Amino acid sequence: MSAVAQLEERASVRPVRPRDAIVRYSGIRTWGPFLVVLVLWALISAAGIFPSAFFSSPAEVWERALSLVERGILPAYVGDSLIRLAVGAAWGLVIGILLGFVIGLSARARKFCWPALLFFQAIGDIAWLPILIVWFGFSLTSVTIVIVYTVCFPLIISIVAAIDAIPANMLRAAGSLGASRLQRIVLVVVPAALPGLSSGIRTGLGYGWRALIAAEIIIGTSGVGFMMFDARRQGDVTQVFVGMIVLGALWYATDALLLAPFEKATVERWGMVEGIGR
Amino acid sequence: MTMTATDVARVAGESPLRGGARSRAVDAAWFASPFVLMALLWVVIVPAAGVSSRVFPSLPAVAQTFGAMLLDGSLWTHVSASLLRVLIGAAIAIAIGIPFGILMGVSKAVSAFFAPLLRFSVALAGIAWIPLATLWFGYGDLAVIFVVFNAVFFAIVYNTMLGVRQVPTNVLRAARSLGAKPWTMFWQVHLPGAAPSIATGLRVGMGFAWRGLIAAEIIATSAGMGYSLFLARQYYETDVIILMMILIGILWLVMDRLILAPVEWRTVKRWGASREVGI
Amino acid sequence: MNVLEIEHLTQSYVDAYTGDRTLAIGDVSFTVPQGQFVSLLGPSGCGKTTVLNIVAGFVESTGGRVLVEGAPVAGPGPDRGVVFQDFALFPWLTVRQNIVFGLRMQGAGKEERERRAEEMLALVGLDGFGSKYPHELSGGMRQRTGVARVLATNPTMMLMDEPFASIDAQTRRVLQQEVLQIWDSQRPTVLFVTHDVDEAIFMADRVIVLSARPSTVQADIAVPFERPRTWREIQADPRFAELRTELMTMLGVEDL
Repeated sequence: MSAVAQLEERASVRPVRPRDAIVRYSGIRTWGPFLVVLVLWALISAAGIFPSAFFSSPAEVWERALSLVERGILPAYVGDSLIRLAVGAAWGLVIGILLGFVIGLSARARKFCWPALLFFQAIGDIAWLPILIVWFGFSLTSVTIVIVYTVCFPLIISIVAAIDAIPANMLRAAGSLGASRLQRIVLVVVPAALPGLSSGIRTGLGYGWRALIAAEIIIGTSGVGFMMFDARRQGDVTQVFVGMIVLGALWYATDALLLAPFEKATVERWGMVEGIGR
Repeated sequence: MTMTATDVARVAGESPLRGGARSRAVDAAWFASPFVLMALLWVVIVPAAGVSSRVFPSLPAVAQTFGAMLLDGSLWTHVSASLLRVLIGAAIAIAIGIPFGILMGVSKAVSAFFAPLLRFSVALAGIAWIPLATLWFGYGDLAVIFVVFNAVFFAIVYNTMLGVRQVPTNVLRAARSLGAKPWTMFWQVHLPGAAPSIATGLRVGMGFAWRGLIAAEIIATSAGMGYSLFLARQYYETDVIILMMILIGILWLVMDRLILAPVEWRTVKRWGASREVGI
Repeated sequence: MNVLEIEHLTQSYVDAYTGDRTLAIGDVSFTVPQGQFVSLLGPSGCGKTTVLNIVAGFVESTGGRVLVEGAPVAGPGPDRGVVFQDFALFPWLTVRQNIVFGLRMQGAGKEERERRAEEMLALVGLDGFGSKYPHELSGGMRQRTGVARVLATNPTMMLMDEPFASIDAQTRRVLQQEVLQIWDSQRPTVLFVTHDVDEAIFMADRVIVLSARPSTVQADIAVPFERPRTWREIQADPRFAELRTELMTMLGVEDL
């Protein structure tokens, strides 16, 4: 190593990541606020500011959650919801990624699809539910289609945006090093689109969860959304609280176990994004 | 100055005088082509395949329903009910959310405390609150407005906070060394500095709100587009369903493309902030 | 033998909004013999980068001919490696993988790539940094990676587009000397675009000055200094000051 290289190595500064990335899912800075909220919650319910029919205490919610787990209701419903989301999201990912790259890479495909794409995105997932129920009844098919629909669009749009944002010089560099069009796509466009892909998946799954809850409420056979709405019909506020906390925990788990590690291993490691947080 | 391939294509392909008008016509044709194709398929295939109107309506039937609902005023009832709820919910969310977000962004301690909570809340805003909203406010307008408010609020607060934190330190220092008081800082530095991010938050939040609105109306009301959509399902009135879906799509496109996107684009461009525009 | 021949090159483009046609390059002709290091100097916005982009095959010219080793340029190719101002390294590849990207495109085997990567890393003074990602390096180290990536495939020509413009002033001086040493080991023909008069002189065997747009070749000046060069020697040489003044005058930036 030359002396200059050593000098530069000392001078080179690793990119400063926003606090988001450092504290994500770790330690007191993430969980501390939740603890404070929990304490406030307990105090408010103990003080009896709101009627208990509208507001349960943490202890009640905890007991109810335990009893729901013991009776096997909560695990079964969580399982149902997760399977629906997984099936829908898997199809949504396959279709969304394929369409995203086709539309991002082909000027013609884009000109043809883009207006229609924006229109169908605008209709929104939930609005499809009534006609889907007419077509497929109150079935898993209806739910799956709604979720596929929801997951697809943010994915397509952010992949296309990411492909558009690839620096021209990077593609030129690959071309002048002898890469063919196919090689440029596989070796440059695909990795360069990964930040867009991961933010698209994040947005898509966020929408997907919402759509799933709405679908479960409306179709109403099982699942966390159904559990919440069923409880609401009986005026059982405690069980609604349980449902919301479960939903929150599941979202956190999806993010922490699936999305964040993927991003850490790829785009964050490559310094393409400065820590992702929503 | 760097010439791009498109510049070259322009030079090679078109004469400078006719280029503009012709390419605009071509663009319009491309824009219309998928819709024309879909309409054609609809007109030709639905009758040809003998699809029952209980499964899919014919194009004339939808047009007829549109006319009928327009005349008897029911269309206006539903659309105005929906739009009013969105506007009220969003307005409250903006009025409370922006100052709240800026206050959080200004204090590092406060933002460190709220950031995890907010990220959590944004992810679940809107639809997940429907059961609780209907429990607290009963079935009706209030519950729907709460769901809309909730969807917009968290997105705005979170993005405002991020926006304020993204204002470069040197800008803050410059303003302070020029003698800006806290009140001036708020109006002249933090608010404009966070504007692009606030606009993004508004757009994201409205996206959640629009979906939440439809879902909440299906579940919790007796008027509005979501309600009429779901009511029509019970009687297999597919023409009403499809009509409402198209209306929902068009209204959102109008709202997003003609109001939200230009606002976002203008703040981003005007303040010269080079940041990625979210969807 | 001339590696690069540019004959009556012109380039015009139509403004997307106004529809006006602008002539960016008026009439540019010059040739570069094998192994020569040529600086292309000109005021900003004069179209020197466009000339480079045309030679690289990124942009098609609207008139004239560009021949590399006697064959007309048709698109980018591995015979002309490009070093970019913004480095254009692939952020998802390590330094080593970036350097052998071109060899990989040629289908070179793994062993050959490994061996070549180590050679190039040593040559550009980056041994021990092969497994780092580009964002972990300083600007100077990134650009040395950029140079290594191009030289790894032994191209006929190296095209450099203001390669030191995004690097701080102290590092730039050191890097200019280092790049000359690296270049010396292979001696490819170089077209070096810059707006920095000192740099143009220090690096090149010959400086071609383009006029403001529509650009033409305003001057073609041989640089008399022996190689290897160091800044200390060159700056002390009275001919450097003379050349510098002459070029500055041409560019219209006379010192008062």
